[in-house]
Amino acid sequence: MLKLICSNLFQRPTRTGVSILAVSLGVVLVLVSVGLSYGQLTDNANRMRRIGGDFMFQPPNASFFFALNSGTLPIRFREVINKVEGVQEATPVLAKFIGDKFHLIYGIDKESFARVNETLRFVSGRHFEAPNEAIIDTNYARSRHLKVGDRLELLNHPFTVVGVYEEGTASRVMIPLATLQELNGTPDKVTTFFIRAKEKRALDTVYQRLKERFKDYTITRTADLQEIMTANTPVFKQFVAAVVFISVAISFLIILLAMYTTITERTREIGILKSLGASRSFIVQLILRESLLICGAGVVLGFVLAAIAIKLILTAFPSMPVNITASWRLFAAGMALFGGILGALYPALKAAHLDPVKALGYE
Amino acid sequence: MSKSKTVDIVQKKDPVVVEDIQMTYRVGKVDVRAVRGVSLTVKAGEFVAIMGPSGCGKSTLLHVIGGLLRPTSGRIFIDGVDIASISDAERTEIRRRKMGFVFQRFNLLPTLTALDNIELARQIQGNGHVRNHQTTEEILGLLGIADKMHHKPSELSGGEQQRVAIARSVVSRPAILLADEPTGNLDTDNSQMVLQMLQDLNVKYGQTIVMITHDPEAASTASRIIEMRDGRILNRVQNLFYAMEQKRV
Repeated sequence: MLKLICSNLFQRPTRTGVSILAVSLGVVLVLVSVGLSYGQLTDNANRMRRIGGDFMFQPPNASFFFALNSGTLPIRFREVINKVEGVQEATPVLAKFIGDKFHLIYGIDKESFARVNETLRFVSGRHFEAPNEAIIDTNYARSRHLKVGDRLELLNHPFTVVGVYEEGTASRVMIPLATLQELNGTPDKVTTFFIRAKEKRALDTVYQRLKERFKDYTITRTADLQEIMTANTPVFKQFVAAVVFISVAISFLIILLAMYTTITERTREIGILKSLGASRSFIVQLILRESLLICGAGVVLGFVLAAIAIKLILTAFPSMPVNITASWRLFAAGMALFGGILGALYPALKAAHLDPVKALGYE
Repeated sequence: MSKSKTVDIVQKKDPVVVEDIQMTYRVGKVDVRAVRGVSLTVKAGEFVAIMGPSGCGKSTLLHVIGGLLRPTSGRIFIDGVDIASISDAERTEIRRRKMGFVFQRFNLLPTLTALDNIELARQIQGNGHVRNHQTTEEILGLLGIADKMHHKPSELSGGEQQRVAIARSVVSRPAILLADEPTGNLDTDNSQMVLQMLQDLNVKYGQTIVMITHDPEAASTASRIIEMRDGRILNRVQNLFYAMEQKRV
């Protein structure tokens, strides 16, 4: 049966190629779009978690996307938070999204940040000391060919790169909090506080105290950030559902069209198979396996094209995080195969129920 | 299978027993009575030619015997099983196990080689899970086309294609070989070769054959000739020369 399937596929190389390409585009769509958005979410969550705070303090109904609520929280909250029993330190962060460079910069208070954070490691240079000094992570330095001593323009303001730290903590670029507040036009305002508890075993208690003290404010455990972000991020689920739906629809429609055309063209051959005694299940299997082969090839091509697409995207936007997990790959492959089988089902059943005599007489 | 069918199996020992078959088609708003009360029996090892002009109902009769069509009424026993009263799936099963077909237009799968056409038939008929090139190649050798086994139908002449089709139809040793105008698309030389091949299969291997033809010369190669007109059997003639040939072999 495999020989027959393969010979049929090679009989119409253009149609087979186009079908494979179309299925692969569905796979690319899922992998790239979900990979990028999921990557952004997980990367943000990981960076925030690695700042070292046990909790994040945000205004009421705040978004986890800092860019959406930049600088709305008065800095004076810091003193009040620090007075809550069990809190060791609250460090303020003002986040600003730079659209043209597609990344966030953080304005941080160096001293309190150091008391909360344990992961910031400089690979060269030092921490900023003057208002116009900036520190950048290794990814940013590599992708923009920057090193200590280079000039860097942010928000139409010149900075000097004074230190490069290992990527993975906070944002890719950090400048003094006061400078960013001034450039942002939000003096004395911050986006969030990262709060470190004195003892890890008392996290629940401290969390309850913070919740009681700041009833209307958003307090989040940083350990839960990734889960909360993927679950509650506006439109993430809907976005993924839409992308998956489009992907399945592409596979479904392409395979439906290809297989329908195939069985129409091969009506006589189906009649021949029936005259040889091929059962309905044999015919159904033949069509389904053929579509599975197309979809399988489409999935493989999709993986390759997605890898190329991501490489191109990362070349254009080196700091853009992409996270395509094995489960997402499996899911994308499964959806393409599911769409393909669904699309092949009607033509397969139609072929299986063809009248053998009419099929043999088909011109 | 029902009890009555079991009784039929005991009673109907011949490979093909047709009892009062009627076949009516609906063409537009008109009923066309293609077969009108045909009864016949084909004994094991017989080579029967059903002859008649176009539209006499011979092809319909062959399709009914082959289980490709269900008759409007009547009974057809294939090795004792009434295939007019069983399901499509059961008819397919009977077709797979008991029958081989040879068609006027050869009906080889165009994307497969001669060898693969035969192997596929073997696989469908349940004997080809393990490829057995030896047997297939032997059959192709017997039919004189061993050197063409890796050719696709488009690379073969009509006569060669029909020989591959014959090889395909007998590869699983069916009880009945049904040939539908097997020489209809062939020139004289190739027609004679194919008819000789069918005769050899019948005489040397005892293959039961039912052949449809409109050509009296082709029909004369069979052991018995049944003449049809207007959906009915007109004549049944025993070919005495054939009996002499059988004796000679």
